[in-house]
Amino acid sequence: MMSQSLLKSFLIKFRRSSGATVDVLSYASSKCYDFGIHSRSSLVYPRRNHGVGSSQRIKVGFSNNPPFLYNNYTTSGSATTAAAGGGRELLAMTDQQLMTQCDMDTFKSSGPGGQHRNKRESAVRIKHLPTGIVAQAAEDRSQHKNRAAALARLRNLLALKVRNTVDLDAYSPPQELLLILPVKSTIRGSSCGPQIGPNNPKFALGKQALLDLIFAVEGSVSDAARKLGLSTGALSRLILSDDSLRMAVNELRTSKGMKPLK
Amino acid sequence: MRLGFSLPSLSKFSPIFSHYNPVQPISSSSPTSLKPQTPLFLRPPTHSTTLSHLQKWQNWAKTLASSVTSTDNGPDTTLLLRELNWLIEDALENPKSILPQLGNEDMVVTLRAELKDLYVLWKQRIEERRPFQYVVGCEHWRDLVLSVEEGVLIPRPETELVVDLVSDVVEGNEELRDGLWADLGTGSGALAIGIGRVLGTCGRVVATDLSPVAVEVASYNVQRYNLQDKIEIKLGSWFEPLKNFEGELAGLVSNPPYIPSEHISGLQAEVAKHEPRLALDGGANGMDDLLHLCCGTASLLKPGGFFAFETNGEKQCKFLVDYMKNELKGGFCDVDIVLDFAGKERFVTGFRSKTNYQ
Repeated sequence: MMSQSLLKSFLIKFRRSSGATVDVLSYASSKCYDFGIHSRSSLVYPRRNHGVGSSQRIKVGFSNNPPFLYNNYTTSGSATTAAAGGGRELLAMTDQQLMTQCDMDTFKSSGPGGQHRNKRESAVRIKHLPTGIVAQAAEDRSQHKNRAAALARLRNLLALKVRNTVDLDAYSPPQELLLILPVKSTIRGSSCGPQIGPNNPKFALGKQALLDLIFAVEGSVSDAARKLGLSTGALSRLILSDDSLRMAVNELRTSKGMKPLK
Repeated sequence: MRLGFSLPSLSKFSPIFSHYNPVQPISSSSPTSLKPQTPLFLRPPTHSTTLSHLQKWQNWAKTLASSVTSTDNGPDTTLLLRELNWLIEDALENPKSILPQLGNEDMVVTLRAELKDLYVLWKQRIEERRPFQYVVGCEHWRDLVLSVEEGVLIPRPETELVVDLVSDVVEGNEELRDGLWADLGTGSGALAIGIGRVLGTCGRVVATDLSPVAVEVASYNVQRYNLQDKIEIKLGSWFEPLKNFEGELAGLVSNPPYIPSEHISGLQAEVAKHEPRLALDGGANGMDDLLHLCCGTASLLKPGGFFAFETNGEKQCKFLVDYMKNELKGGFCDVDIVLDFAGKERFVTGFRSKTNYQ
């Protein structure tokens, strides 16, 4: 009887049969390291084997496909409406929370790896599973730093591509949008502090809110400017100050048959 | 690797090339010295050259990097050019200060090695296939920058995951978090240091290595991260330095040599020609050291203690699991195979059974 339970305790959680549902280990997440230099004990990661938090059951076909390609949502077009929680919630997440929704891989998939190789391959690719958005970074020699860079890029892409619905009739710009507006905006208020520029990490949130509005008014800069207490010229300048913002707005305007901003 | 090789400005430097010993690091004190090398990026910036001389070197180095064609899964030009940038990063005192001055050819640049040494180093990288990590004397691993040199295995990215595995099991388990851990065959000390930083305030690591060079380098790295009170590096084979710790270890990890002997000569030149065979060669089927480790682990771990071993892949993982199940019956529980970044079965983990049923 003892040996019975012993055998059970030896149960190998990992099964290789093709297409088996592996109680993985939250495999992808266990590769996501801390982005701070110090103790990671306070960080929230889904844990291997514990089945807590957002650990996922991943359908794994092991032949040649590593499980990181799994995607359980579909994306269409350039703008996505987040299935659960809006884009705003996504950007408000901490890095650790956001990473629990992501798969990460390192481009390495061929060959035996491990001691066999010296490739100093530090490139990192992060895929946000709910939206299918992928960001990558390869320029740094430390995988660690590339992870941080890829995550920053992912945030930027989420800001650009995940839209929140806006009620135009009752529109009131959210605080994060007010922060990136020029001081001369008539609705900004003096309590807002100085204008935040594209290099500030909080710019992404404001950019997202601005794009939400511009999508809601179907690309009309003058309509959006009115809602923000700005002249059309001032809002144009703000849009042109950030390359990715300009490109997102112009992509929308082109699709609506409008002239791109220059 | 075949080298189509052109050296625009080599003639000027030929005296160096005719004398250098490819394996000896630059500025090494003596070949038998065990004093660890200082990584390039930590050397004092006591050399200087002009921007135009530096650019000349860089152009030469780029040409050299562009000329390679690898036949053994070695580095391609893209990777070599990236490495060249990293070499510049490590060799210059202030790499960023140069950008605004690019037009100013007479600008003086401060270096951590002589310019002629940079020619030698890059030639070693390309011609000798000396690993880039040995060239600059360090490897970026997790959030650490570890000193490495000939005689010490360069820590691999796959192995980073072992620290996460340990981090996972010690979270919420005070006995493990504040217990004594062992890293056997520590090499550069990477795992010992990574684990030392995830343990609690009372947690300790003892790391062993058979190679005196590895012991020196690991100790150097431990000191650089100011962990000498937490991590002890001991010279000796596997469990030998741990005889007094039977049944006391909270955890044990190892990345032992696991490559089958006959595969070694076919590895890319960086590994086969330059890294220590002692750290790679796992015997006829690559399992010699892994099996030895399995057997000793049962008696060293305390009940509930955790172990993690890196392996060559699926075959070795399965073999180890079967071995533990059948030959070491009752010694371990929750034995598990864990995938690496690339989705390969890479690690075997588990716990010492709470009761010994043998």
